[in-house]
Amino acid sequence: MNVFGLLLGFSALFVIGLGFIWVIRGEYFFGYLWWPYTLALGILLVCFSLFIPFFWGSALMGLVGASLVWGSTELKVQAIRAELGWFPFRKEKIKPPFEKMIARWKAPTL
Amino acid sequence: MKLNPIGLASAAALFTGVWAGHVAVRTIEARIRKLWPPVIFFLALGLILEFLSLCSENDLLSAILGILGITAVWDGFEFVRQEKRVKKGHAPANPENPRHAVFLSAAGSNATRNDLLKREPVGRKVDPVEAQELVQ
Repeated sequence: MNVFGLLLGFSALFVIGLGFIWVIRGEYFFGYLWWPYTLALGILLVCFSLFIPFFWGSALMGLVGASLVWGSTELKVQAIRAELGWFPFRKEKIKPPFEKMIARWKAPTL
Repeated sequence: MKLNPIGLASAAALFTGVWAGHVAVRTIEARIRKLWPPVIFFLALGLILEFLSLCSENDLLSAILGILGITAVWDGFEFVRQEKRVKKGHAPANPENPRHAVFLSAAGSNATRNDLLKREPVGRKVDPVEAQELVQ
């Protein structure tokens, strides 16, 4: 019996749980325009995981990377949820570098 | 240097599982009349995938099946949460689905046909009337 996949499945569940928290809190304080940075970080983590020789280290880094990529696509929708009053709304955001340029790009949603 | 594919495979399984589940739950919940068949189907699918993952000799395959299995079980529960979102107007109701039509016609209901999230953010709080206007 190989419990590796099952344990990794539960780890994935935990990582997704963390994803909910950072998307909600992150959008609240920083705003959705940080999405290119979280997206790039997620992709980088997945790439780095290729060079980690340990099974669990590589797998967990891949999961966190995938969750960051997914979360990046959730940030814009989360901003709208906050505007609608479904989540706490904070008007003053900590702006990302190149904010004006990013605002012209279409934020990814899935 | 030998590359370790386990992280990439785990990432791909998680992203694909969550994405496919996200689309499947929204699409099926909007169309199906009774909610329990897809709930049972996804829970069973998840358990079968976990069983196959446990039986797999190959760690890479075990990882992919294990992650997809957990996302499928999650989707089973998401059907119930999605229906609650529709009731509250947080997800669009389908008037052609009798289950949703009941939500739409209920007295004092917040259910709506519109997807209130299908727009660009405006950077300020939006009241329920403007929320509808912004997606017209």
